[in-house]
Amino acid sequence: MKHIKKGKITLTIVIGIACIALTTVMFMQFKMVNQTDIDELEVMREEELRTELAEWKNKYEEAENQYNSQLAKLEEYNQKEESETETAELVQKELDEVNLLLGKTDVEGEGIIITLKENSEAESGIITSDNLNMIVNNLKEAGAEAISINEQRIVNMSDIVTVNDVIIRVNQQRILTPYIIKAIGNQSYLESAMSGNGSEVDKLQKLGHDIKIEKDNKVQIPKYDKDLKSDYIE
Amino acid sequence: MVNKKMISIVLGLMCVALTIGICMQIRTVNDYSTKIGQNYDQNNLRAEVLKYKEKYENKVKDIEKIDAELEQKIDTASKNNTDLEDARNQIAEGNKLIGLTEVKGEGVIVTLSDSVLDASSVLNPSSLVVHDLDVFYVINELKNAGAEAISVNGQRIVTTTAIECGGNIITVNGEKIGAPFEIRAIGLPENLKNLDRAGGYLERMREEAVGAELKKAKSVTIPKYSGIIKFKYAHSIE
Repeated sequence: MKHIKKGKITLTIVIGIACIALTTVMFMQFKMVNQTDIDELEVMREEELRTELAEWKNKYEEAENQYNSQLAKLEEYNQKEESETETAELVQKELDEVNLLLGKTDVEGEGIIITLKENSEAESGIITSDNLNMIVNNLKEAGAEAISINEQRIVNMSDIVTVNDVIIRVNQQRILTPYIIKAIGNQSYLESAMSGNGSEVDKLQKLGHDIKIEKDNKVQIPKYDKDLKSDYIE
Repeated sequence: MVNKKMISIVLGLMCVALTIGICMQIRTVNDYSTKIGQNYDQNNLRAEVLKYKEKYENKVKDIEKIDAELEQKIDTASKNNTDLEDARNQIAEGNKLIGLTEVKGEGVIVTLSDSVLDASSVLNPSSLVVHDLDVFYVINELKNAGAEAISVNGQRIVTTTAIECGGNIITVNGEKIGAPFEIRAIGLPENLKNLDRAGGYLERMREEAVGAELKKAKSVTIPKYSGIIKFKYAHSIE
């Protein structure tokens, strides 16, 4: 009887210890799993960090280029300070650059030409100013430097609106289908931004409108033909 | 006898469970240590991002210095020359419109903010937040009303500015911004105010319970573009 009792006590103790060990391990496990989840979030952020790093590197390189070109300009000025005509030339160059960025000059360069021909059948719906706005925004996203719609140059303060539900106006001028959108910039960036699945152009194509995207090494875009106003800027 | 068998079975089961637990534990620990390695990478990345950001900012400061020097040079060069004086004024005016200088003037301030309503109280919670498209259309309408300079949350709108959707935030000039959006515009306030007309875009936004408010202002300050505008592909032709 005594012998049996001793055996039982030992057994109970062993089982008890095993239970404690098991519970401890389980808790440790839970804690680990919790921490692992947080870690996964941070791993996701790592990818974000990588894109962020690439962006800043890019920006820095751009700044570096700009710095070098401005420095070169300054040196040119310093060298040519003596001569009035040469200084005048440099000022003129500066002005040309400003006019280029403003959209006050005709420009040429590699890019793409998109032709949107509205399908007159009712189920396709009409091409709206919203569609055109989105296309312009997507082109800018892809780094377009100059854009025009039916020869209306898109400058910084250009608007594209619908008046009376049917009339599309760009720069307060009415435009009609077919809409020819020209853009100058990196050809492959521009093209992939336009032709990608789910892009605005793709959506219009699926609605049945006739769309053509062409690459051109010498896209010509006219200047903005009105005065750029700054009446309210002090 | 039966009792002994039971005890053996229980013990056996416990042993199995324990072993499984230990195995899982070991595997997690292994995973965990590789993640510590990644954590280390991440800190490096973060440091690298900060480094480049700082380098960029320093460069921009350098550029500003050089630009000021250049301006000075043009100033002195054009002092006694009316042609140059004229060109200089055109450059200064042009830079204001391009967005390369800070500008001030009368105009309006439009504030778009997410709805204060509880998301579960409506059928379509998405209608309660301000979207990239809302910001886009408000800017387009301001341009239509004759705005001369526009900024969103301190980001100047320039000719190459795109407005990109990125989940809860939107990206303008490559910088992420979030609601509330403060859109500033310089122009004739009476015309710009038209945005707030009955049936206009702002009113439609308010019908969706999104905050859309327009205020006239005597003097609006719009910052300059923080990046660099340089054309690589487009060249002027005669």
